[in-house]
Amino acid sequence: MTRSAEAALLVTAGVVAAFGTALVGFTRGVGLDAQVALTFLVFVGAFGSVHLALRRWAPSANPYVFPLAAFLTAIGLTEVYRLDPNLGSIQRWSLLIAGVVASGVIFLLRGDGVVILRRYRYLFLAAGVALLMLPLLPSTWALHGIEANGSRLWVGIDLPGSRSLSFQPGEIAKLCLAIFLASYLADYHLAMGTTRRRIGRLDVPPLRQFGPILLAAGAAFAVLVYQRDLGASLLLFALFVGAIYLATGKLAYIAFGGVLVFVGGLVSYQAFSHVQRRVAAWLDPFADFSDTGYQVAQGLFALGSGSLTGSGIGQGRPDLIPAAATDFIFAAVAEEMGLAGAIAVIAAFALLVAAGFGIALHTRDLFRKFLAACLTLVLAVQALLILAGVLRLFPITGITLPFMSYGGTSLVANMVLLALLARISHGARS
Amino acid sequence: MNGPIRHLAAVIFAAFAVLVGAVTFLQVIQGPEYRDDPRNIRVVTGRAGKERGTIITADGVPVARSSADPDDPQLFTRTYPEGAGYAHVVGYATLIFGATGIEASQSEALVSDRDATISGVLNAIVGGDIRPKGLRLTIVDDLQQAAIEALGTQTGAVVALDPDTGAVLAMVSSPSFDPATLQGRDAGPAGNTLEADPTEPLRNRAIDQTYPPGSTFKIVTAAAALEAGIAGGGTTFPDPVELDLPGSTATIRNYDEQVCGNGDTVTLTQALVSSCNTVFGDLGMQVGAERLVSMAEAFGFNREIPFDLTALVSAIPDADSFADDVAGVAQSAIGQRDVRATPLQMALVGAAIANEGEIMEPYLVQQIFDSEASIESETVPAVWRRAVSPATAAALTDLMEKAVSSGTGFRAQISGVSIAGKTGTAEVPDEAPDVWFVGFGPVSDDPEAARIVVAVVVEDGGPRGTDGTGGSVAAPIAKAVMEAFLGQ
Repeated sequence: MTRSAEAALLVTAGVVAAFGTALVGFTRGVGLDAQVALTFLVFVGAFGSVHLALRRWAPSANPYVFPLAAFLTAIGLTEVYRLDPNLGSIQRWSLLIAGVVASGVIFLLRGDGVVILRRYRYLFLAAGVALLMLPLLPSTWALHGIEANGSRLWVGIDLPGSRSLSFQPGEIAKLCLAIFLASYLADYHLAMGTTRRRIGRLDVPPLRQFGPILLAAGAAFAVLVYQRDLGASLLLFALFVGAIYLATGKLAYIAFGGVLVFVGGLVSYQAFSHVQRRVAAWLDPFADFSDTGYQVAQGLFALGSGSLTGSGIGQGRPDLIPAAATDFIFAAVAEEMGLAGAIAVIAAFALLVAAGFGIALHTRDLFRKFLAACLTLVLAVQALLILAGVLRLFPITGITLPFMSYGGTSLVANMVLLALLARISHGARS
Repeated sequence: MNGPIRHLAAVIFAAFAVLVGAVTFLQVIQGPEYRDDPRNIRVVTGRAGKERGTIITADGVPVARSSADPDDPQLFTRTYPEGAGYAHVVGYATLIFGATGIEASQSEALVSDRDATISGVLNAIVGGDIRPKGLRLTIVDDLQQAAIEALGTQTGAVVALDPDTGAVLAMVSSPSFDPATLQGRDAGPAGNTLEADPTEPLRNRAIDQTYPPGSTFKIVTAAAALEAGIAGGGTTFPDPVELDLPGSTATIRNYDEQVCGNGDTVTLTQALVSSCNTVFGDLGMQVGAERLVSMAEAFGFNREIPFDLTALVSAIPDADSFADDVAGVAQSAIGQRDVRATPLQMALVGAAIANEGEIMEPYLVQQIFDSEASIESETVPAVWRRAVSPATAAALTDLMEKAVSSGTGFRAQISGVSIAGKTGTAEVPDEAPDVWFVGFGPVSDDPEAARIVVAVVVEDGGPRGTDGTGGSVAAPIAKAVMEAFLGQ
């Protein structure tokens, strides 16, 4: 029954995406073309394979996570396609790959698969750290880091025939590290939760238990220093602090984490000009409108011009916003689909996060519970960071909006994230 | 272990709620400020950046076209190659100042359906042409240019019509403006300057301004008398220097404050030829308010003119309002008092006489063609109303011919061609007179011959100021337009 509902919702999302492609076609003056059918077929292919995999190997999995993701993907793909049909077309193929990979993950984790993830936690830790370090590889190597927009978070692979493939290893690293954390904390949460003494109203655990969190802060700081990637750095730190809080229930960790963020933020603001620029653009984007504040200001113009119902797809000028298809996809959606579309997107994310935490709450096995919560946390924090950046509640962090921003690695990683969540939810119910 | 999960979830949901609040604030409350920020170039390029259809004249001169930005094929710039000469007819399409003229009234055809509106989508699904449509106007560029040149820097308007169809052949208003100044980055200040200009260059004086018609209104008074059988061309009237008006201390005098004929009696023909106010005041009182007002309404006064642009209604007060005001009837009969007319209305009065008493609906759009230049629709001329009988029209034509051949309208004479016309010099309190000429030609017995009606108004006597008259200032302008018509 639930799987049939899922199928119906997924087809609906496919129709939304196809309709979006059609609207873009009309505004470009090409009318109805094969792109519309292609979009629909890719949606059916990507989410259909996930759906069939769930039917076969996880029939009682939560039926809402993939339809919500499909809706967000449909909105995001429409806007990316509207901004640049070439990017939209690439994003469509990424979606197909993401669907196949997510189905593969569901297949690999059939039976007792999830337990294997727990067993090899140090492998995932090593993989996560290695992936994070990959962009630091010298540019001359076949596998090399790529610097773009002042940050070094891409990795290129040279292929035969002078072609190359690039991806963002940080997106995959976050999954590896979430698996490591869930596994580590499932085993050691009791020790970490032990209280020695109290300082004021805070229960303070033994000092050596702060080791992992200091490690996390160090790793996050390293990412910030060497890759100049504010977003990934904050995301990793939030994952570590959040995970430790989940396992211990000790607010002291969060308080300590907050202090570290504050101190780290102050130090990096003093030390790095790119952090200073972003903070300046956040505090007053109009002070330096034509340079540092331009992107944030254009984002605000887009939001203001969108008003309640938006300009209509293809009727606005989201192309004026730098990085509209990636960091500022939400501003582009808000301009052309209005407050109505913007709130629908935020609501879909909130529902997705609710489904994720619901899975964590209903899972008995501690590792799976922690894993579901950590994955949901990563998804939520990533969405919150970039949305808050676009809405000027926070400096721009330059990470992707899950399922919506242009970017293949992000799409694949987040689809795998949902595959893990769905697989855990099946285990919880059986 | 569920407590921390619940707490974390609560914090995250609170954060999402804050996002909803923030996006609502930025889009709705703070939104208008961002939208209208001068640095937000959406304001300038927004709707004006869409492709609009090409507008050409009857003889194929492009007067409005959209060209794609070389860097962005989605973004179009609207240009008006003929500039100020067509600024009032064609108008402009801007975001800040809205749209006027044909650009506004025909926007449904001119605006691209290449959008995501329901109708645009449906149109594309059924295979309709989603490019904007083009328009061919009835305006003939040669005549338009002749009218622009003849009017020069004088303040006023020229309307030329084909009386057989109602097609507007020229429509000029002066002073004018270059619609290009209302496009692009400096549109705001430029538009504000134009709006504040006391000479009102944005106003289309041909349809959007009424003037006392003065002696050109004697055509209407004469028509009422002829139709009612009160007088004919040969009917004689007393010829005083001054006409006393009953129940009033006001009098009516002729333009030069002299008698009109020999000081004894004068025929209606002579009165029209010499534009005698005394005779027409007298005649107006004989015709009476009832017949005068209903005749004016038969010519289109107090009626909305069916037209591609919105024209002001030309007005004459109700007959009832003249019940105790015989003087008012006399003054109205010579186009003074509260009678007001647009140049288009007076052109229609001339057109009625030229077209055997019938007025055709005036129109500006000849054809609508699609993006492949094949004609999608063509305006079919339609009768608007009958003003007078063919016999009355023929008699008035005769009178108006004489007014040009041997009367006040002599400056409109064209050698070898018979022109009919009537001058007007409308008194305006404390100002130089607004001067008129309404005429048509060539007058011939050949019903198939092409003819043109021209109405000209020049404010404040033109360059002659208080000495300006319809004959000296307006008639030569009408002559220039008619010569261009005859020479084409």
